[in-house]
Amino acid sequence: MNFLHILLFPLLITFILPIFRARIATALSTISFLIPAFVSLYLLLTAHRGEELLMNLPAPIGDFYLLYDPISHAFGFTISLVSAMVALYSLPYMKHRFEEMGAKEGEFRKYWFLYNLYAVSMLWLVYSGNLLLLYIFLEISLLASFMLIYLYGYGNRQWVGILYFVWTHIAGVLALTGFLIVAFANQTLALNELKVIGFIPWLLIFLGMVVKLPGLGPHIWLPWAHAEAPTPVSALLSPLTVGLAGYVLLRIYLIDSSFIVQFREIIIFYAIISSIYAGLSVFKQRDYKRLLAYSTVSQMGYVLIAICLGSYGLIGLVIQYMSHAFGKAILFMTAGAIIATFHGLRNLDKMKGMHEFVPTISNAALLGFMTLSGIITIGMFAEFFILLGLTQIYGFNLQIISLVVLVFIISGLYSFYTMKEIYYGTPMAYEKPKFSRLLDLPLYAIALFSVAFIFPPLAPALLDGIKLALGGVMP
Amino acid sequence: MITELDILKALVILTFAGILSYKNSILSLALSTLVVFLFLESNGLILMVLSVAILNLISMLAIRKNQIAGLDYALIVFMAIATAYVFFTSDIAELLVLFVVVSVPTYLIVMLDEGKLNVDPGIKYIAFMVIATVVFIIGSAVLYLGYSWQNSTIYLLGFVALLIGLALEVGVAPFHEWVPDVFSNANPISISIIASLAKFVPFIVAYKILLMTATELTSLALLIFAVISAISMFIGNIGALTAKDPARILAYSTIANMGYVLAAFSAIMAPRELVYYAIAGGLLQLFVNAFGKIGFFNAIKGGSSSLSNYLLSFSFIGLPPLMGFWSKFFIIYALVFSNYLWLAILLVLNSAISIPYYLRLVRLTEVSSKSLITNTVATVTAFVMLITLIPPVWFVELVKEVLK
Amino acid sequence: MIDFPLNEATLIATLLLAPIISSLPVAFAWLMEPKREWTRNLPIIAVFGLFISLICSLYILFNFGKLEEAVKIPFDWLPGYNISFVFIFDYLSKIMGVLTAFIAFLIGVYGLEYMKHDYRLGWYWFFFNLFTASMLLVVYSDNLLMLLIGWEGLGLASWGLIGHWFRDDDDMSFVGNVGRKIAGINYFWSPSLGAWRAISTIRIGDMPMFFAIAAIFFFAGTLNISEIHWHELAEKLGAFGIFLILFAFLLGPFTKSAQLPFSEWLMTAMTGPTTVSALLHSATMVAAGTYIFMRLSWYVEPWNIHNAGVESIYVLVLFLGLVSAFYGASVALGCLERKVLLAASTMSSLGLMFATASASKWVGEFALMVAFWYLVTHAFAKATLFLVAGHLIHETHDRFCVGGKDLAKHLRLAFLATIIATLCLSGIPPLTAYWVKSAMDEVEHSLEHEFGLIPLMLLVLTSAIYSAFLAKFLSLNFLKGDYKLKAHGGGRLMSFAYIVMGSMLILLLAIYLIDHEFHEFVEEGFLTSSLTVGLVVLTTYLIGLAKPRLESPIGKALGDRLYLAFLNDYLVPKLGWALAKLVDYGNRAIDFFCHRAIPDSFNFASKSIRKVQSGSVERYLKISVAVILLLLVVAVALGVIV
Repeated sequence: MNFLHILLFPLLITFILPIFRARIATALSTISFLIPAFVSLYLLLTAHRGEELLMNLPAPIGDFYLLYDPISHAFGFTISLVSAMVALYSLPYMKHRFEEMGAKEGEFRKYWFLYNLYAVSMLWLVYSGNLLLLYIFLEISLLASFMLIYLYGYGNRQWVGILYFVWTHIAGVLALTGFLIVAFANQTLALNELKVIGFIPWLLIFLGMVVKLPGLGPHIWLPWAHAEAPTPVSALLSPLTVGLAGYVLLRIYLIDSSFIVQFREIIIFYAIISSIYAGLSVFKQRDYKRLLAYSTVSQMGYVLIAICLGSYGLIGLVIQYMSHAFGKAILFMTAGAIIATFHGLRNLDKMKGMHEFVPTISNAALLGFMTLSGIITIGMFAEFFILLGLTQIYGFNLQIISLVVLVFIISGLYSFYTMKEIYYGTPMAYEKPKFSRLLDLPLYAIALFSVAFIFPPLAPALLDGIKLALGGVMP
Repeated sequence: MITELDILKALVILTFAGILSYKNSILSLALSTLVVFLFLESNGLILMVLSVAILNLISMLAIRKNQIAGLDYALIVFMAIATAYVFFTSDIAELLVLFVVVSVPTYLIVMLDEGKLNVDPGIKYIAFMVIATVVFIIGSAVLYLGYSWQNSTIYLLGFVALLIGLALEVGVAPFHEWVPDVFSNANPISISIIASLAKFVPFIVAYKILLMTATELTSLALLIFAVISAISMFIGNIGALTAKDPARILAYSTIANMGYVLAAFSAIMAPRELVYYAIAGGLLQLFVNAFGKIGFFNAIKGGSSSLSNYLLSFSFIGLPPLMGFWSKFFIIYALVFSNYLWLAILLVLNSAISIPYYLRLVRLTEVSSKSLITNTVATVTAFVMLITLIPPVWFVELVKEVLK
Repeated sequence: MIDFPLNEATLIATLLLAPIISSLPVAFAWLMEPKREWTRNLPIIAVFGLFISLICSLYILFNFGKLEEAVKIPFDWLPGYNISFVFIFDYLSKIMGVLTAFIAFLIGVYGLEYMKHDYRLGWYWFFFNLFTASMLLVVYSDNLLMLLIGWEGLGLASWGLIGHWFRDDDDMSFVGNVGRKIAGINYFWSPSLGAWRAISTIRIGDMPMFFAIAAIFFFAGTLNISEIHWHELAEKLGAFGIFLILFAFLLGPFTKSAQLPFSEWLMTAMTGPTTVSALLHSATMVAAGTYIFMRLSWYVEPWNIHNAGVESIYVLVLFLGLVSAFYGASVALGCLERKVLLAASTMSSLGLMFATASASKWVGEFALMVAFWYLVTHAFAKATLFLVAGHLIHETHDRFCVGGKDLAKHLRLAFLATIIATLCLSGIPPLTAYWVKSAMDEVEHSLEHEFGLIPLMLLVLTSAIYSAFLAKFLSLNFLKGDYKLKAHGGGRLMSFAYIVMGSMLILLLAIYLIDHEFHEFVEEGFLTSSLTVGLVVLTTYLIGLAKPRLESPIGKALGDRLYLAFLNDYLVPKLGWALAKLVDYGNRAIDFFCHRAIPDSFNFASKSIRKVQSGSVERYLKISVAVILLLLVVAVALGVIV
């Protein structure tokens, strides 16, 4: 039994899920992601590396193979853990949503198929050893998530769905064009045989990923999509999907870093400005999910900053992905829990002192914000390595140092500002609700890992593994 | 390999089918189907062409009570045979004949309807087709002349005339004016044939003639192709954005798709091992267009499941692993290696522009009651889009095999 | 004594985890619905956990070699990066650890009664114990990254505890006169606001500190404070580099220890339960800042480094500390709220600690010793005073300094404890703080070469004011206040706690006088100059006692903390909101452009394209023919050109 089988398992489950009733489907979906989660964690701990051929294809496509290294495993673990927990959470949430929409229970069949397809395509994406394969999974994940928004989203969901589709499709096809130029130059798209990425393809891929990530400017699609998606989907979109742009950039960088090195100054300034800009935007939001969406933009700025910062920065990038995934998944689920228990409540003006009514959700939100701002959670390492990379590349460049520090400060500030606005203060007149345990326990499971990853044995395994995958030597 | 003898056999049987159709349309259907099966042993590419024809045949059943019931089957198979044969011939006279042969039956098909003959779209269509045929044939002749005389002005004149003929024939913008009107007024099933089976031959003939007459000027002249294809993509995709009638949306989508196919032409002067990607891309795009149009027009006619509509739409938009992705993939690759990066980028942007209207199309074609025939045809076309789950390097191989 | 590593591992794990684990029962039980009566007894377990920590810290104090000896105990953390958990037991940490654990335990005992009827016990005890554990981690850390975990834990726990009464529904938990406005902004603070002010200020300091830690790691290759070759590092980085790193690093301690201009949060941190204030102000949180500075200086050995960067930093800290001390003392003088008064006085003391510790650059290790022992003295005294204040608030239901002889009679023990603490802290000869302060005078005096008499003057001035407001506190609460007694019962456990705490000052006095180690303190204390200062302090004490209230506009301004609150509540938020508004406009503009303007223009183009379809064949043919002709012209033109 090799890892391919583990990865095939959730894929197969996807296609049989529609047969089952909602409860069983929930359990199956959760299990189908928990297994890869634990196996990839184990492989991460053992610093497993390897390749597994899927298909021999001629030039210019090159072999389709699965790529296993600690970076993939780190991403894979994050994706499968979050997907499993969100799957559990989906059951009570979507039940509420279907009731609200007047849809029947049978709607769950479609939902589970799309949900699993969405999550599993992201999982496969990070193990893809071929840029084309990677692109295919990128688009499948886009497709499935689009359908979920289109069918079950809030507000003007069809408009939002199309908006999301158009933006991310532009991101995808720009990257695809870049990939094809790479394919022509190298006569392959297999990651292990790629040698050069020219300027134009790098630019196209970079632009595509900046749209997807998103950076300042294109970021405007994200608050719409992430806020109006049904919350379990937001809890995958925001933590997992957008960050995959960072993963793609990382893989390209590892082949040929020339572009980033050449335009480092411009990129890092853009990244910093975009992070600060989005961070400041958070304060003005009065919709809980929109607020979180802007925070995602800000956090993705970290990813873009990290890629400019040499090998320490790359370590920071991987950890930032994980930490943001954990934190934002928790936070979106807290928003969803409030929506589900208070009948669509998401306006900050109508939330005050929510700790009074949903203490467990409030505590989970605290853990989520701690992860975002790097307090005793894995986020701490992300910030540490970004700062380390900053020192390595920029030494005592006061301007950039203070800007990056400002970025981190703003994250902390909006985190606790939001805590105050939503959970603290004189409670409003609500009843203390009863709600399903599935709306809060999965959040704590994620938080547990978020904290556990700063201690042995997970921390050294993760960090040594990434180091190994990046080539071992820290300059 | 299809020989002239095969064609002769087929023609004889089809004539019988035509005659018998006055007696019994079922017999005609059976004989026509038999012809299709006679050709089945050939290459996979031909197989795909034939499956387009079979789907056309089946969907014809949805308008069984048309004016030429029975004869229509023979006409379709006749076109199919011509389409299959065009891959194998390289005689300029034969090519031009095939061009006409595929064009003419559509004059009749476009007017078919249950009840009385649908003349209005017929007039528009025929008017344009006649001009197209004439310009195309004259263009080829002039082109050949320019090629033989080594005269660049004549060559370019012929070249442009050929392009114009082709554009008029298949409905490339800015020669697309007939398309939306005809598509929305004619019977959906007849249009499904015009939009699918009839589109292959003009392109292949044009390709073969261009290749035969290639000079060092061709690369330069292909720039005109590139520009026209870009115009067509934009006109088609943007035009569709606000169209409300599903048939009109599909008309604009056809214009856009023809633009994509035309884009593949920009790369035909590439070295041999690369040019196959361009041809494969163009051809695959034609197949996507053909299957997709059959599926959608059937959906308009009698309804189909929303799953298949979604699949078709996603394929048109170009999402992997559906067929529509791979056609664009090969076309973009072709554009990349022939240094038409700008066109590649325009093409991918166009695929993004097309998203809203394809999704609207799914909503517009959503119905509660579905007829069995149309639903089956649409479902089959949707699943055909999935055959590229196996990356279609095999398709490139097929193209290589046929066009050796 | 220490034979095998497991023993150490267990010891350290117990020390750090006992408080956290023991607080879990109450934390989890309190999440249950409905809350059962027996869950109110669970805090005893939590306090027991604190007790275990105390035992462990005592064990560490006595069993790891001589007091001056430094023992390091490393555990693997990130071996690939040369980062380990390194615990260090040296002079500073051994004593500081016991101090922290002891004070936390006593306050815990006090809290059992003080917080008995609270509505959020689970939260309270979890964060209280997390607070203690974090502080212990900070105290015993040699590794900077590990220290940072504790450091962030302190910030988080303080946020949780300051905002403990998150409902903002009880005036008793506010700071300032509720409803009062100055220049349009609210001049009173609710617990949720207090918590926000605390964490937001702290984040501003922590992030530069984090950068400094990363930079130190990058340049020094290690994160262990005791192993970094500071001398070489300073040489390598040059004056600007080392200045930047140290400055960024110290922004953490500055914010945590509420030095100017980051002092506001500490004043409004009084919205938390009094027990929290007591812990926060004595041995954790704010003390952590000064403690880290001392620990750093201990190993940096600035007196051996001759580098302009290092020197500038120490000058900066010296004056920042002195100015903060003076500011804090003045504010306390004008303050009428019990806890805010004490908070301002803490800020003042912290300033003195910073200033004294920074003098080590010129004076040497002795200055660090003075600063450290002042920290210890201050911790006991301040904890006592806060605990008394808490009891008084409980008793009088008033946050302001009210009370009278009746109250003193009623709460004899509180009265006694206050007398001990104020006398011992203000530096009146021959009581506890006097000896330390004398040494401090001497330290500042020896800076005469460098800075003239300014440091000494500031110190004496601060001390004088300090003793005056302590006397004021005593006088207003027990002697001259206006308050009609309404007798309450209970308070035994609370009284026990502060009496023990206060008696520690006497014990400390004995140690200073007897232990040979402190002979320098005692010698300094017998100098005439020190005695003079002591007399000045005694005088101001007596004045404060006799005339605790003095209406004056200056006093009022001081009581309003010289309006520094505008920095936190007006300037920074105004700037922030302006920027937020700006980016909001930006977002709207981008949103409009991308999601309105572009789609609309596409729709417009689409309609124009569709306008061609009029349905008339003639028109279509005309267009086609026109385009055909155009193309043919292009072809001919091309042909001619070629």
